Amino acid sequence: MLNITSILFYAFSIVLLGAATMVVIARNPVYATLYLVLAFFSAAAIFLLLGAEFLGLILILVYVGAVMVLFLFVVMMLDINLARLKEGFLSYLPLGLAIAALGVLELAMVYWTAPMGHIPAPAPFPGNYDNTRALGYVLYTQYLYPFEIAAAILLVAIIAAIALTLRRRSGTKSQRTEEQLRVQAKDRVHLVDLRANKH
Amino acid sequence: MTGADRWSDETLLQPAWRGVVRMLTHYLPVLIFLFIALLVGVVPLLLGAALGPSKPDSEKLSPYECGFEAFEDARMKFDVRYYLVAILFILFDLEIAFLFPWAVVFDQIGLVGFVAMLIFLGILVIGFIYEWKKGALEWE
Repeated sequence: MLNITSILFYAFSIVLLGAATMVVIARNPVYATLYLVLAFFSAAAIFLLLGAEFLGLILILVYVGAVMVLFLFVVMMLDINLARLKEGFLSYLPLGLAIAALGVLELAMVYWTAPMGHIPAPAPFPGNYDNTRALGYVLYTQYLYPFEIAAAILLVAIIAAIALTLRRRSGTKSQRTEEQLRVQAKDRVHLVDLRANKH
Repeated sequence: MTGADRWSDETLLQPAWRGVVRMLTHYLPVLIFLFIALLVGVVPLLLGAALGPSKPDSEKLSPYECGFEAFEDARMKFDVRYYLVAILFILFDLEIAFLFPWAVVFDQIGLVGFVAMLIFLGILVIGFIYEWKKGALEWE
């Protein structure tokens, strides 16, 4: 007997698999990126169904909200030639298939070596278990030092991004208000004493 | 037996899973919203395709650009500054991701957790001052 969570699980899984396939086979890279957004959404829904509330919402907030914007910009910036992109498809296909087969094999081994092919359900939570609360509690007590290191890593990322991409373009016409206000009459008007020539 | 057996009715009635089920019922409006959004997106397209007349010719299907002939490909290089804005946005988005669990457990972690978050935000404010002074937020 299927209940509603099972139906939702299968529905989101089908959407996830379909979207992931389209990411690979979509001709237009921008469409592929948008299918990746759909895949992230479905994965977030599956996280929610498994009780990982915080993880699911962060996936939407960070990946869909920010990382995908970055991906779209990169895809737009690369100036991709669609014909050239498809050129090496057949030569890469055997390697890609081999890696996919390896992944399937690994998953199958995990599945079949579990007792009687049954994956045990995750450890039961206490009745009023709250994902976000539990995570916050360990993060801000036990793992304080890694948390501060995360801040340092973010700082390094800010500086690196600015150092790599900030380019002053010469010859742009922009208004500099402070220079306009600071200007004096003598900077603007230059009086030249021209003597009339007397022969 | 399959993984979906986890969601059999007997399992869901166990006290361990009641919290998850209660959490999921809070997301029922989101699910309904998802379905309605899907309908709003798909139904007009299907209605248009089913009811509208379709007589394509080469002039109708050619790219239209404000009346004049299209003179270049739409795919062109974007300025790298869009990328800079996006990556700075991601970094501060991640900072917000740290703030949510902190706010939820604020009453339990005490002064230590509060000071830890102040240090965290302080380090990021250094980065913010740097990008401001460097002019990374300005668009020439």
